[in-house]
Amino acid sequence: MTAPVEQPPSTRLAVAQRVPLWRDVVVLKWFTQVSLLAVVLAALWLFVGQAGNNLRAKDITIGFDFIDRPVDIQLSEGIDTLPNSGGRALWVGMVNTLRVASVGIVFSTILGIFVALSRLSNNWMLRKVGAMWVESLRNVPLLVQIIFYSSILATLPRTSFLDPTAAAGPLNQNQGPIHNWLHISNKGVSLPRVFIADGFYQWAIVILLGAIAAHFVRKKRLKQHDDTGRETSPILWAAGTLAIFGFVGLFIHPVFSFVGPIMGGIASLIDSLTIPMTQAVISIVAVLLALRWIRKFRTDRRSGSGHLNLSDDDWFRMIFAGLASALVIVVIYKWTGLSSWLLNSGQDLFRLAETKFNVDGAARPFDAMRPDVLKPGNFANYGKNGLTMTRGFAAVFFGVTFYHSAHIGEIVRGGILSVPKGQVEAASAVGLNRAQSLRRVILPQAFRISLPPLGNQYLSLTKNTSLAIAVGYSDIVQVGQTIYNQTGKALPVMSVWMLFYLACSLTISVVVNFFNMRLKLVER
Amino acid sequence: MNETDNTITTTRSGRDLSDAPDIIVCKGVSKWYGDFQALEKISATIKEQEVVVVLGPSGSGKSTWIRCINRLEHHQEGDIIVDGVELTNDMRNIEKIRSEVGMVFQQFNLFPHLSVRDNVTLAPIWVRKKPKAEAIEQANELLELVGIPEQADKFPGQLSGGQQQRVAIARALAMEPRIMLFDEPTSALDPEMIKEVLDVMKDLARSGMTMMVVTHEMGFAKEVADRIIFMEEGQIVEVGTPEHFFTNPTEDRTKLFLSQIL
Repeated sequence: MTAPVEQPPSTRLAVAQRVPLWRDVVVLKWFTQVSLLAVVLAALWLFVGQAGNNLRAKDITIGFDFIDRPVDIQLSEGIDTLPNSGGRALWVGMVNTLRVASVGIVFSTILGIFVALSRLSNNWMLRKVGAMWVESLRNVPLLVQIIFYSSILATLPRTSFLDPTAAAGPLNQNQGPIHNWLHISNKGVSLPRVFIADGFYQWAIVILLGAIAAHFVRKKRLKQHDDTGRETSPILWAAGTLAIFGFVGLFIHPVFSFVGPIMGGIASLIDSLTIPMTQAVISIVAVLLALRWIRKFRTDRRSGSGHLNLSDDDWFRMIFAGLASALVIVVIYKWTGLSSWLLNSGQDLFRLAETKFNVDGAARPFDAMRPDVLKPGNFANYGKNGLTMTRGFAAVFFGVTFYHSAHIGEIVRGGILSVPKGQVEAASAVGLNRAQSLRRVILPQAFRISLPPLGNQYLSLTKNTSLAIAVGYSDIVQVGQTIYNQTGKALPVMSVWMLFYLACSLTISVVVNFFNMRLKLVER
Repeated sequence: MNETDNTITTTRSGRDLSDAPDIIVCKGVSKWYGDFQALEKISATIKEQEVVVVLGPSGSGKSTWIRCINRLEHHQEGDIIVDGVELTNDMRNIEKIRSEVGMVFQQFNLFPHLSVRDNVTLAPIWVRKKPKAEAIEQANELLELVGIPEQADKFPGQLSGGQQQRVAIARALAMEPRIMLFDEPTSALDPEMIKEVLDVMKDLARSGMTMMVVTHEMGFAKEVADRIIFMEEGQIVEVGTPEHFFTNPTEDRTKLFLSQIL
C-alpha cells in the first residue's frame, strides 16, 4: 500500500466543526416529536376538562356503575333475552353482533368469489347477471336494503298465536308434517336443533381416535401421490375416514364408559396432593422448561461448523427465559392460594369429566328438539329451542352479505384481472389445463393482491352490522342505546361501543396481516 | 416464394436432414386481428432436430406465427400439424401439442409466487403426474444444465433477468418437449446477460432439439441455425441457409432488411 492519503482540508473542517442545534437533524427530530406530543396533550386536557365541566353543569355523572345495576330491558333475541344487568345486556348484544358479522363475512366471501368468477366467465348470461348483481347492490345504501329485506320478510304469514283466528290454520304446530319441522312466518324461520346429549362425550373419544386415524390416512395418501404421481385425493380420504369413525361411533360409543372411572381416579389423585408438593412440581417443571428452551436456542444458533455465535439480543433472550422461570417459582411460593386454586379446579375438572362419562350406556350422543313457535308469548321467545333465524337477523344478514358480496366480487375480479396475461400463457404453454392454471397460478396471485382490500371489506362489514338498530335486531348498538336511554350514561356506553368495535377491527387486521405476510412475494 | 424453398438439404454441421421426419407442418396459415391480417398464407415445414431462426422487422408476424404453433393464438385459415396432430378446436389435441411443445417468452413469465424449483416441477407433477421426488431430481438436473443449480430455493424476483430466462428454459424442458419455441428470448435482457442465455440455447441445439427461434441476434442465427426464415408483413419472404441468407439473399426486401441491421 502507498502512504496514507492526506485528507483534504474541507473534509476535516466538516468533521471537526460542531453542528449548531437548530441545524442538527437528530435534535430537530426530537424537538418536533416532543412539541407535537405537548400540543396533543394540551388539546386533550382542554377537551376533557370542557366535557367534564359541561357534564357537571348538566348534573350528568359518568361512570360504569350501570354494568352491575339491574336493567329493565327485553332483547329481541340472543343467548339471554332477559338480562339481569346492564353489563350482561351489553354482552348479549356483543354476541349478537359477532354472530351476524362472522356469518356475514363467510357468506359474503363465498358469494363474492362466485360473483367475480361469473363476471369473468365466457357465458353472456352469467356475465350480465353478475354485473347486475354488483351494480344494483352496491349502489343502493345498505340501510335501505336492510329495511327492504325486513319489510319483505314482514309480508310472510303471521304466526298463529298472534292471530287467534288462525289457531287451527295451516301454521298450527301440531298439524301437517312439515310444520313439525320447519316453520316460516313473519317472525323468521325456525328449524329443529340438534344438540349434544349425554352420550356425546363417549362419542367424542371415537371422533378423537378418528381424527388421529384420518391424519395418518392423509399422510399415507399424500406420500402415495408423491411416489406414484397418481391423484390420490388425500383430503377426501381423510374426511371419509373421519365420517366412518363418526358413524360407527354412534353405535359403539358406550364402550368408552370406562373412561369415567379413570377420570375419577385422576381427580382422587389430585385430591391427595398437598400444596408444597404442587409448588415443588411446578417449580421443577418451570426450571426444566427454561433449561430446555435455552438448550434448543443454543443449538439453533450454532452454525454448520459448530461455532456458537450469540449477539447481545440472544443473551438477553436467554437471561429472560431464566428470569421467567424464577418469576414462576417466586409467584408459586409467595401466593399459596394459587396452588390450592389450581388443585381445586383441576380436581373439579376431572370430577366433571367423570360425571360426563359415567352415563347410562344407552345414552344417545345427540338429540333433536323442535322449535317452540306457537306458544303464546312475546317476540323474544319465538323459535326457542330450535335453530332459528329471526326476521331481524335475516334482514341484517342478507343486507351486509349481499351488499359486501358485490364489493368483494369486484375486489376478487380486480385481483384476477391484475395477474399478467403472460402468467396464463405460461401456464398453458407448460400444459396446465384451465382448472389447474386457475388453482395453481392465477388464484394464488389474485388472492395476494385482493387480500388487503378484502380485509377492509371485513372491517366495514363488521361495523355496518350496527345498522341492525333500524330493524330491531339486538346488536350492541341497539342494546347500548336502550341502556343509555334508561340510565343517561351516554358517554360510558359509547366508550364501550368504541372499544368493542376497535377490538373487532384490530382482530380482523391482525388475521389479515398475518396472511398478508405469508403471501408476500420474495423479492431481492 | 414457392414450396421448394422450404426444403433444405444441408445444414450448418453438414447434417443431412432431408430424410428426417416432418415435425411441424404449416399449410396456408392465415390470421386476422379484426381487419388487420397478421399472417398471410404461411406455409413451411420444419424437420425433426432442425433449428429454424425466424427473422424480420417488428410487426412482421414472427411472434404471432410461433404463438399459433402451440395455440396461444389461434389461426383462422389453413392447417398446422405438429408431430402428426392437427391443431383444431379439439381440447385433447391442444393439450397433447402443448405438452410436446415447450415455449420460452420474451418476458420470462415465471410464476412469482413459486420458488425456482417449484416453477420447474409444477407442470411435471400436475400434467405429467410425475412422482414428486422424481420431478425434483429432474428439476435439479435441468437447473444444473442451465447453469444455476444453486438458485433452486430462491424466488424469481431474486434472480437477474438472464437467470430468470434460464429458469424459464428449464421449466419448458421439464415437460420433455420434442420442440422448443423461443419468442425473442433475449430481447428483454441487458447486453451482458444475453450471452448466458444464448449459450444455453446453443447447447440445446447441439443436443438435437427441434427449435424455432424468433430473435434479433444475428450472431446466433449465423452460428446455430439450419435455416433462416425471413418474414415481412405477415408473409414468408425468403427461406435459406444462413450462408445463403447473409451473403447472397435473393429478395430485395431481405437485402433492405440486412442493410438496415448489419
